[in-house]
Amino acid sequence: MKTPPLLLFAALLFWGWLSGLLLVGALAGLGLAAARIFKWRWELEDVDFNRIWSFCVLVVVVLVGYVFTTNEQAVGLAGMVRGASVHNSNPDALNTIAVLRWLPLTFYPLLAAQSYNFRPSVPLTAISLVLRWRRRRGDHAFEGRFLDVSYPYFILCLFSAGIHANRATQSYFWGLCVLILWALWVLRSRRFGVKAWVLAFAVAVGLGFIGQLGINGAATFVQNFNAQWLARLFRHQTDVAQSVTSIGQIGNLKLSPRIVIRLEPKQVGVVPAYLREASYRKYSSTLRSQTWYAGGTLNDFNSITPEPDNTSWVLLPGKTGTAAVSIACYLNGRSSDGDPEGVLPLPSGCCRLENLPNLSSVITLQTNHTGVVLVTGSGLLIFDARYGPGATTDSVPDVNSTNHFDLAVPANEIPALQQVIAELKITGTNDADKILAVESFFLGKFSYSTWQGPEKRATTNASPLTRFLLTSRSGHCEYFATATVLLLRQLGIPARYAVGYAVHETSGSGYVVRERDAHAWCLAWNRETKVWDDFDTTPGSWVAIEGRQSAFADWLSDARSWIGFQISKLRWRQAHLRQYILWTLTPVLAVLVYYTNYVNSLVEVGVGR
Amino acid sequence: MLGVECFPLNFLYRPFYWSYRSSGSLWYWLRRRFTLPGLCVAGGWLVAASFGVDIVNTVIYQSFALLFAFLIFSFACSFFFPAKFSASRLLPRFGTAGQPLPYQVVVKNLTAQKQAGLTLLDDLADPRPPFAEWLAFQLAESRRIRPFRVSQRRERNPFRRATLKPAEIPPLPAKGEGTVSLELVPLRRGLLKFVGVTVARPDPLGLFRSFRKVPAPQTVLILPKRYPLPPLALPGQLKYQEGGVALAANVGQSEEFVALRDYRHGDPLRHIHWRSWAKTGKPIVKEFEDEFFVRHALVLDTFSDAPHSELLEEAVSVAASFACTVLTQESLLDLLFVGNQSYCFTAGRGLGQVDQMLEILASVQNCADKKFDVLEHLVLRHLSVVSGCICVLQRWDGARRKFVDQLKSLGVPVMVLVIVRPGEGISGAGGMLVNAQGALHVLEIGRIGEELSRLK
Repeated sequence: MKTPPLLLFAALLFWGWLSGLLLVGALAGLGLAAARIFKWRWELEDVDFNRIWSFCVLVVVVLVGYVFTTNEQAVGLAGMVRGASVHNSNPDALNTIAVLRWLPLTFYPLLAAQSYNFRPSVPLTAISLVLRWRRRRGDHAFEGRFLDVSYPYFILCLFSAGIHANRATQSYFWGLCVLILWALWVLRSRRFGVKAWVLAFAVAVGLGFIGQLGINGAATFVQNFNAQWLARLFRHQTDVAQSVTSIGQIGNLKLSPRIVIRLEPKQVGVVPAYLREASYRKYSSTLRSQTWYAGGTLNDFNSITPEPDNTSWVLLPGKTGTAAVSIACYLNGRSSDGDPEGVLPLPSGCCRLENLPNLSSVITLQTNHTGVVLVTGSGLLIFDARYGPGATTDSVPDVNSTNHFDLAVPANEIPALQQVIAELKITGTNDADKILAVESFFLGKFSYSTWQGPEKRATTNASPLTRFLLTSRSGHCEYFATATVLLLRQLGIPARYAVGYAVHETSGSGYVVRERDAHAWCLAWNRETKVWDDFDTTPGSWVAIEGRQSAFADWLSDARSWIGFQISKLRWRQAHLRQYILWTLTPVLAVLVYYTNYVNSLVEVGVGR
Repeated sequence: MLGVECFPLNFLYRPFYWSYRSSGSLWYWLRRRFTLPGLCVAGGWLVAASFGVDIVNTVIYQSFALLFAFLIFSFACSFFFPAKFSASRLLPRFGTAGQPLPYQVVVKNLTAQKQAGLTLLDDLADPRPPFAEWLAFQLAESRRIRPFRVSQRRERNPFRRATLKPAEIPPLPAKGEGTVSLELVPLRRGLLKFVGVTVARPDPLGLFRSFRKVPAPQTVLILPKRYPLPPLALPGQLKYQEGGVALAANVGQSEEFVALRDYRHGDPLRHIHWRSWAKTGKPIVKEFEDEFFVRHALVLDTFSDAPHSELLEEAVSVAASFACTVLTQESLLDLLFVGNQSYCFTAGRGLGQVDQMLEILASVQNCADKKFDVLEHLVLRHLSVVSGCICVLQRWDGARRKFVDQLKSLGVPVMVLVIVRPGEGISGAGGMLVNAQGALHVLEIGRIGEELSRLK
């Protein structure tokens, strides 16, 4: 079944116009249209079509390999399932789908060969490797059977013309209607007159127009339905506005052994003890929940622009940092645009982020007054963090405002705190003595436990924290951190509640941080150095206790985490894959080309002639 | 396939059988209901459905909506076809496997309106086998082919009986009729059944067809494919045939005799001429003329565990080719094979025609429940009257080798033809082996015609 004259020219022109390759499309179309004018023909045989088809397929393979390794955010099938994850103007997104858009050109040689061949069709065995193998084994069932590829190529052009960003125009739709009308007109049934046919076509086009408007509207509705809450079901992520603790909850506190962060210190033996994600200032204790709040809003965030090299980000101007560590972490949340978003776990005193390319890895980077660094960008980030003692990104304590968050203590906790302070028998009045007394108090009289019995539950008479301080004197890190913060505040020392991870587990030359390493501790204001110091009163045995509770098949979980990490590196273009593929694929392709086009042709000649 | 032959586990194949039937039904429905442009539109719609999910980076969803609208509109139009027809088919008596069979169908328009733009589709009986037959074929294939070898030659759908293309019906006047010429290509020998005729009308867009079915059951016998043979010097000499041609036939009672005489003690009772006895009152017997002529045995190996095996089909074709060649000469031919029981059919020299032999060969089925020695015994019983043997075998194993050796040891000239699949060959007698008493020829499927033409 041959296409009517100039249909393929029109299709290629249509494809070129919508793809931004109008001249290319026009020239290609002219090349095919000229076959109807010029009668000069090639005498191509089956083996020639085999070579042409092999060449076209190899071009597609090379294009896929190149695009895959240059592209990030994987707007392939994964991107399509996830929805609008790439901005229309993102050049990387356009590159990713270039394979589909360039299909008319990659298969153009085949169609040109058919058009200028004395027999205007392609042997079936040229297109299928399986049929070629079978013919070589003596199965001649498909010998002498040919296929006219002009209509399949026409369909390919229409399909590829639709591979471009949605610019909210209907040009593709109406162009499609014109070309399909042209194609179906010559094939229409003679049973119906022209008027009936045109009316039927108009009705179908009208239904199609309404349908595509409906699809557009439905997709927009679903995307705006906030898929973020769906993503949050699957992975833990830190809320910068509040931290709901497990204080007062009954049962055994158990977190997953899944690896969430990987570290590689730049200096041997120099590794941060904690990675902080966020800190909070206001504590609320009710019968139902005990929650820390940031004490601010999302409007407190300030955007940071990268350095001129577009890969470095300065968090604290003027501070260079004495140590550096490479961190690999996931962004588990979703921004309002549907892009991955999350809080970076950073060492205390972090002043600079490096090897974090703008646009390809990071879309936006913001910080706030409680030391939170909020990033929107790739799902997996691998970067270097420079840190050192001294200033941090946290604001100075808020002690003078009406809220005075950094000294505020809930009224229902004050009696228990006063009782503990009386027990401390603090002799000095300076902050160092007070901190030492608090540390000794928890170290000597408290123990770590992940089990929360019914006595820990809040009652109308006593909060869980009160019971922890006065009765049980056993709990997990959230108890210790909250109690420490409130005690210091009651003693007049500004303090904040910090959450993040503790770094202790080595893995090869680096460190791994698991979900069960999630930790809470106190930030105490040092009036002399004017910095926030990490002050952790949780008994050191907590690491061993958490580790004892791990499942015996941690190694299986680690293997799965490692595989997921490698896949994420590929997916988010954090692996140096392209050069590996170029080095390994080039000789393989060269051998394949030689085998397909020269060795096989000798075999074909021997068999066929 | 798992290749498990244990009967209790056959139920594991049921889902595959259902899948085979449902996919076959779906494909049959698609090919008949959709026109070629309709299939292209449906295929494009599926592709658009796959890639149109991302509406931000592509606008394929627009083509999805448009093509879906086309399909829905065409499908809706298929419900409006209020026409009536009758049809009668003019079929020849026989066809030949692999050869186009032209025939005609007369279609009558029973409505009061002119009907144009219609297509005729002839309906063959459902060729899909029952579960047991399908399973037997699958198990035989799994024994032959290693798993996951896509390049290894598989037998094409053996259950498909014929290929048939639709034909355009000329414009039919009101209450008038028209003749449609069709051509089918039978793929297998045997009885080809027609169940009816379908008159199809495309929708205004030419994508989907509406049907009007007309019952028209009919059958045609498809004879086996034959290959041309060169003039052959078949093995064997003239042999004494007691009773001449008349007694050479295996079935029926021949009336040919040269004289009548009185009954002598010892004459067989079947020679008594009853009519003469009734007239004369004493037993009279027929006297036959003894002759010397050539009589060949065409031994057909039907032992195969796979129904519709390609080896069996080619063996029958080779046997049919020899039957056509031998029966044109002044000799008799005994066709010996085993089906449900042992069969021996004789033709030649007026006893039977080529057509009858071919009709018998068209109906030969595989024998899966008996061993090769049943055929061996049948042949040995006939050896006394045959001049030579032409053996068409499906394999060359110990039993068959022993059989041929036995024939040679009895001094019977033998020509052995072994059918093999491409690239397989046989062990123990590769290529052509010629000895003083016969020859062994290996015929590779796909090159049988070429190799038969080189016979001497």
